[in-house]
This record gives sequence, C-alpha cells and structure tokens, in this order.
Amino acid sequence: MKNLARITLLATLLTTATLPIFANGNSEAPAKQQPAAKQQQAPMSHDELVAEAQKEGKVVVYSITSRIANAAEGFKEKYGIDVEATDLKDYELIEKVAKEQSIGAQGADFVIAQDGGRVMGELINLGYLYSYMPESMKSVIPQNYQDPLVFAMINKLFIFNNEDSTTEPFDNIWALTTDEWKGKFQFKNPFQESVNANFLTTITKPEIADQIAKAYKDYFGKDITLTTKNAGYEWIKDLYSNDLVVTTSDTKTAESIGVKGQHKAQNAGLFVYSKLRYVKSKDLALQPMLNVEPFCGFIYPIYALMCSNAKHPAAAKLFIEYLLTEEGFKPWSSDIGTYSSNPNIKINEGDHPVSFWEKKLVMEDPTYCFENRADVEEFLNEYIY
Amino acid sequence: MTYKNRIKSFFKKPHNVILFVLSIVLIYLTIIPMFSIIRDTFTVHQSEMMKIKGAMVGDFTLYHWKKVLFSSISKKIFYEPLGNTLYIALGSCLVSIILGGIVAWLVTRSDLKYKSLVSTLFIFPYIMPSWTLAMFWLNFFKNSLVGGAPGLFTVLTGIETPNWFAYGPFPIIMVLGMHYAPFAYILIGGILRNMDANLEEAATLLGASRWTIMKKITVPIVLPALLSTFLLVFSSAMSAFAVPAFLGTPVRYQVLTTQMYRTLNGLNPGYGYIMALIMIIIGVAILAANQKIVGTRKNYTTITGKSSNIALVKLRKFNWPITIILLVCIFFVCIMPLVSFAIESFLVVPGNYSLSNFSTVFWVGKGSPDIANGEAGILRNASIYRGLWNSIRLSILVAFISGTVGILAGYAIAKGRGTKLSTLVNNLAFFPYLMPSMAFGAIYLSMFAVRRGFIPPLYGSFALLVLVGAVKYLPFASRASIGAMHQLSGEIEEAGTIQGIRWWKRMTKIIFPIQKSSFISGYLLPFISCMRELSLFILLVTPTSRILTTMLFQYNEKGWNQYANAINLLIVLFVVISNQIINKVTGASIDKGIGGN
Repeated sequence: MKNLARITLLATLLTTATLPIFANGNSEAPAKQQPAAKQQQAPMSHDELVAEAQKEGKVVVYSITSRIANAAEGFKEKYGIDVEATDLKDYELIEKVAKEQSIGAQGADFVIAQDGGRVMGELINLGYLYSYMPESMKSVIPQNYQDPLVFAMINKLFIFNNEDSTTEPFDNIWALTTDEWKGKFQFKNPFQESVNANFLTTITKPEIADQIAKAYKDYFGKDITLTTKNAGYEWIKDLYSNDLVVTTSDTKTAESIGVKGQHKAQNAGLFVYSKLRYVKSKDLALQPMLNVEPFCGFIYPIYALMCSNAKHPAAAKLFIEYLLTEEGFKPWSSDIGTYSSNPNIKINEGDHPVSFWEKKLVMEDPTYCFENRADVEEFLNEYIY
Repeated sequence: MTYKNRIKSFFKKPHNVILFVLSIVLIYLTIIPMFSIIRDTFTVHQSEMMKIKGAMVGDFTLYHWKKVLFSSISKKIFYEPLGNTLYIALGSCLVSIILGGIVAWLVTRSDLKYKSLVSTLFIFPYIMPSWTLAMFWLNFFKNSLVGGAPGLFTVLTGIETPNWFAYGPFPIIMVLGMHYAPFAYILIGGILRNMDANLEEAATLLGASRWTIMKKITVPIVLPALLSTFLLVFSSAMSAFAVPAFLGTPVRYQVLTTQMYRTLNGLNPGYGYIMALIMIIIGVAILAANQKIVGTRKNYTTITGKSSNIALVKLRKFNWPITIILLVCIFFVCIMPLVSFAIESFLVVPGNYSLSNFSTVFWVGKGSPDIANGEAGILRNASIYRGLWNSIRLSILVAFISGTVGILAGYAIAKGRGTKLSTLVNNLAFFPYLMPSMAFGAIYLSMFAVRRGFIPPLYGSFALLVLVGAVKYLPFASRASIGAMHQLSGEIEEAGTIQGIRWWKRMTKIIFPIQKSSFISGYLLPFISCMRELSLFILLVTPTSRILTTMLFQYNEKGWNQYANAINLLIVLFVVISNQIINKVTGASIDKGIGGN
C-alpha cells in the first residue's frame, strides 16, 4: 500500500511538472486542424456521377436517423451500390467525425447530422465537412437551405393528452410556470439531445425574448421583472423551477403523456410531432397545440454533408441527391412531422408545410447557437442541474 | 559476479521474468493512464470549443478546474452530486449490513429452517446485475406523477406510490442495499461462523464473563470485518451508475457517476475527467483505509474452526414465522423481478395488464415503423445477436486474459515474496480494484482515444473493451492465485525442478492441477462480472462494439421498455445459469472470493 501511495504521488508530481510540455505542440492530441478543404471539382452530370459512383461500389454514412436503413435499401436497389449505414446519437456523430478526421482515420463518406451549432462550429468551420449541392437540385431546393445543405426539417410541438377534452389546456407558454402545471409538464433533457439545448438557446435571442416578454404581459397583465439576462432566460428558469419533468426520450414522453386512463387535468409535453403516429399504433391520446403564444414549439434542420476525407465521394454525392428526391425521402415522408427541403415532395394528409410551421415555431439559428449555447448551458447548470 | 552475470542469473528464474514483464505492462496500463487523465483535466476538448472561446483543441486551460470547484455552477454540477453520492453510499451500506447481518446471524447462530435454501437464494441479488432490482422497482412501483403508465403495484392495489418512494435517494439506497446485502452476508457470516467455536468457548471455559467475552473477543474480531464490509460496500455503492441513473433521473437526482456519464459523453469531458479523478482518489483512500484495518488483523480469516460445537439460539415459536417471512422476501427479490421482466416484455402499451394487450411482437416480431422505429423482435434482431455475441466474446477473452495473467502474477508474486519487484507488481495488480469502474473507463478513454506511440487509436474498437476489462478484473484473478500459491509448499515445485522438469510443464502438470479450483475461480469471477458489467464499458462502446448491457441501457433510455426488459431477462438468465453450471462442474462459485482479499 505504501508503495502504491508513493507511486501515485510520484505520478502526480511528474504529470504536473510535464504538463506544459504535454500541452504544447503535442503530436498525440488532435490539435492539428486541417485547412478547410473545399472539394469543389468541376460539376459532374447525373450520368457521370452514377458511373463514377458505381465504380466506387460502396458508400459509408453516419446518420442520426435510423430510417436511413430503409433509404439505403432503396438506393441499393436503384443503383446497385452497397450502403454501410451507422446510426448514432448526435454527439456521438460529431465526436466520431472530428476524431476520425483529426487523426486521419477513414470513416464516413457523408453524414446526416443535427445540432446545427456544433456542426457549424466544430465540423464545417474546421473543414471536416463540406456542403455539396447536387446539380439537379440547385433550382429546386430553396436558396436558404443550400449551404449547408438541409436534408429535412423536424418539428417539436406542445402536445397534450386529449382523452377527456380536446380543448387545448393552455394558450400561453407562461401558463407552464404556474402552480397549476407544477410537475405536470415534460421535456427531454437538453443535455441529452442538443436540439433541445439549441431551442432553449434560440429563445434567448433578443427578438424572441421580446416576444416572450410580451406574452408575459398578456398572460399576467403586468410587465416582467427580470432576475436574469432577458425574458427567454426567465422563462427557462421558471419552467425548470416549476418541477419540469425531464425525460430521456421523446418516445417515453409521448407514452407517459398519451397513455389512456390517466385523467389528469394537466398533462402535456414538448416533443417531436412525428410521435403522433402512436395515436394509432399504441392507442395513445395525443393532440398537438397550435394556438400557443408566442410559439407552439420549435423546428430544426437536419443536414446532409460530405466528409472531406470521403473514400467514396461520388457514391456519397449520388446518395445525397437520391435523398432529396421523392423516392429517396420515402422512409420519412410516410409519416407526419418530417419535411424534406425539396418543396415538391408532398406532405402528409393533416400535416402542414414548413412555411406554415415557420410562422408558429421557433426556428433554430445555428450561428447564434454556436456562439451562445455555452452560456445557456452554464445557466442551466447553475439553476437546475 | 559481474553486473552482466547478475542480470543473467536474475532472468534465469521464470518468476523474475514474469515480474519484470508485468511491472512494465502494468505501469503502462495503470499508472501512465493516470497522467493522461490528469492532462485531460487541463486541456480543451473538441466539444468544448463552444464554451472556451478562441481556444483550439488540445490547448492548455484551467477552465475545468475553476468551473467544477470554484464557480457558481460548482454546487449543482459537483458538490451536490458529491454529497448525494456519499449519502447513498452510506445509506446502502447501512441497509446491506443490517439485512446481510441479520440473515448471517440467523443462518449461523440460530436453528432457522431451510438454511441452505435461504443461503443459496440470498446470494442471488448479488449475482444478478445491480440494475435488475432498479428496473424491477420501476416496473413495480412506478407512479403516475412522473410517467403515464402505472406500475404493477398500483394496478394491483390501487394505491399510488408517492414520488419519494418511487424515485430518488430512497429507492436507490434500498436497491443498492439489497444488491450488496449478500456481500455483507458472506463477509459477516464468515466471521460469525468461524469465531465462536474456538475463542468464545475457550473464554467461557476459563470463566470469563459474558461482558468480558463480548469486549475482549467478539467485538475485536467482528469489528474489523464489519468495518471492512462497510468500506467495501461503500466504495462499490459509490461507483454505482445504472441504479442511480434509472431511479434518480426522473427527479433529477444526480450522483457523481451520472454526472460523469453526462459530461464525458456530452459536451464537457473536462468536467467528467475531474470527477473521475476525484472518484479515483476517494476510492484509493477508502481501500487504503480498508487495507490498513484488515492488514493489522490479518489473522482473523485463518481462524477456521468447525462450528459444530456452537449452541444454536432456539427461535422456538418464532422459527416458522421468521423462516416464512424471510423466504417470501427473498422470493420477492429473486424471482419476482424475472417474472416482471417477462410480463413487461409482452405488453404493447406499458401499464395495461389486460390480456388483449399482450403480444409476442417484441420477441418474434418482424419489426414495423410503428414500433420502436422498426426494431425487430429480440429473437430475430440482428443487432441483439451481435450484442450478445460481443458480450460473450468479451467475457471469454477478458476471463482468459485476466485469469491467466492473474495466475502468472500470483505465482511470481508468491515466489518472489519479499523482493521489491514482487511488492511493486502485487500493488500494481491490485490497483485497478481501487478505481470506480466508470472512472477506470474514463482513464482508458483518455489514454487510448488517440495514437500512443506504436499503438493506434483504440477508441471504438473491441480490443479496447477487452483491454479495459482484463486489467480491471485482474485483481480478482491475482488475489485468488496469490492465496492459492501461498498455501502451496515450495517443495512441491522444487521436487519438479530437481527432476529437471521444465517450468512450463511444472506449471501445467503440477501447480495448476493442485490448486485448480482457486485458479478456476480466478477465471470465473472476471467472466461473470464482465457479462453483467455496464459502467466500465459504457463510455467506450460505439455502435459496432455494443454489448448487451449497454444496449439494455440505451433501449431503456429510449423508452423501448419491452426490449429493455427482454434483454435484461436474457442477461440475468445467462449469468445465473453460467454461474450454476460452472459451480456444478468445477465447484468454484462467485460467492467465493468476494471481497477481493
């Protein structure tokens, strides 16, 4: 035991002494940042791309959506190219891509990623990923979705249990901070899914915070008194202090809220709209709320981006192009709540187009998120966790 | 003798070669990673670029230490979880010592009925993975305040459990307490069984009073064992991860391990490495204290008098009631969880126990987009089979490596007894035992995520899991082996040497056969521990190297209850059955060698 203590002490001393050496110019740490390699060659025609892609014969993709597996089947059938698809959580995907590229390991050819803030700040800006816009889609996809290329949009809405009454239980987000809603509202942990953290960050933007302040006045009939930076922060703090139920998955949230026979007067959450498919398959009582001030939820992009060190670049580009077509988007378009960036792809019955949602929902702002999410996370840490 | 000759003769002895090689390998695998983790608390990580503005990955920074220990967020992210950790560790200790102590007393000192049945079943909760009881608690006591579907208890009785009962520190303490109770039972039971016949009786014959016997014999003998039990359970409970994650998350009750998982797997690895480091320090301190306590009274375990002469306390008319209550409780803790997992794995809508709601789709379904994103049923799900295969492969490899290295280490340490090198290797081989599992995972994450000399980056590889498992479980094997070697007289091997039998043959034909059962338990413990291990691997698995336990955790997080329950059933059955088989075949069992010393 004594020896052990001595060794530990020695190790500690040695480490402290050698730290500066380790920290500077250390070849082991992934410190070397590659220059932003813009891989823009002469654009290939569709047929050229197909020929090139088939020569490569395979494509590797990391994806945050598991439905990629179904798309892969369709793609293989159509072009005869094998797809190796790996399903990852968003932070896993970012870490993996950054790690692999910084050490020069071969990984994915392209990725389907979310968490705009980190994708922008840690992957695109360092040149690990770049945006490829298929020639055939340049005139189809709206300009603002082209760089970085948005593959789809997903929305999360306020959704409640409508078993006893289909009247929306609140019409202002401040209702959630009152006693009536104490311990009755659910939201997935923003530390577990970063789009949720991005949402909380985006609502601290001055223009949205102003709307939240106005909603406060509408609801309580008086001006908001700030104990934090702005009304956005204030709402987050009050929401969390009101015993917000933090969940680990939207599926869980949907089930907890939607299971019939609960007969709770207040029973709602903020989670992905696409879970409304459980109304049928799992006999849940769920209904979205479309009349909440100043917003009914949020909407965020999913990106399809090329990896700078792609081994099968042509096949990756072809797959990206395929995903933007009606055929390639099929695995997502069969349900509500996922919207292709290609406006020609029909939306589901009963659903609304992105243009409708843009007016009702908070739109993720990746640049603002990259710059400010750390503050919001610190804030969450300080008050809540 | 010249220097060269001295070296030559040193290396002529096989045990010196083993010691030399092991000292180098173990320093590389246990001490050097400590440098790496310390360094990682001072550097900027990929995911922290949003937080530490203008910094590049790998830059030196004091940011983490400042934030974790001395800032406005320290309380929530560090001090509160630290307090919670110590609180639940202490609580679990008390529960397990009281439960284990009572049963140990009943079995060794009273005329309780069905002792062997009680004894066998009572070990179960420890053989099963720790989260088994946590999942059972959730299935059973879930209330509607947090989640929608009520648990079995509410369905059966109509009583709704309060929040403090369903989630947070109380159930965590109860579950961990029940999980570690068998551990306390084995340690305390061992002492109670062994002390009486010799000492107390002798004292009584010599006319000592009851009080004197108590003060001078019973307490001094039991106390170190109790303290030792206390410290071992405390350090195990402190490093528990799955139980607080399952039962604490719904009410945001955080402990150090859950914070570590969140930060290391999320946006702030720097915070996580600091917590890992602090947990290692606490772990080392606790077990150093234990070593001191046990070390000063090394003799007590060798008192192995037969207990035939003990006058058993007669329970009289309480015997049957106590026996029945005990058996019912044990049945409830051992069998009910399995029943509950089985039931839950067939329910389409959780919480609805009507017959029409039962379905085999989660076992044999093809998978449809409506259900868990198209995940196929357990029995026809390729990713489950891959996880199972990975788990088995991992456990076998880890058991083989740590078992074999452990035998060699034990042999060499015992042979070289007294030399500095032997003491060094002995301590190094025990070192991994002192570290909380997740912290140990963290140091390997820190060490092998990048290229190290000729070793390529191992992050995400199966090899890394094997490596971390083999080193972490080495103490089990080396302890078993050292014990066995100490019992073995040196003359036996000497006889072989004189006959001119080569070392390899002496090992395989003489030494191994004699101490077979100890050596085999050196293989068995790592095998079973590995099969049910979660927190050691959870930071290191990636989708390709997933094992059953981490899949279970992820499925549970995603809310795919039926799959999680079914997988858990598979794990528990696998562990229990393999323990039984090995027990029958070799006579070794997991309850032997518990305690690590």
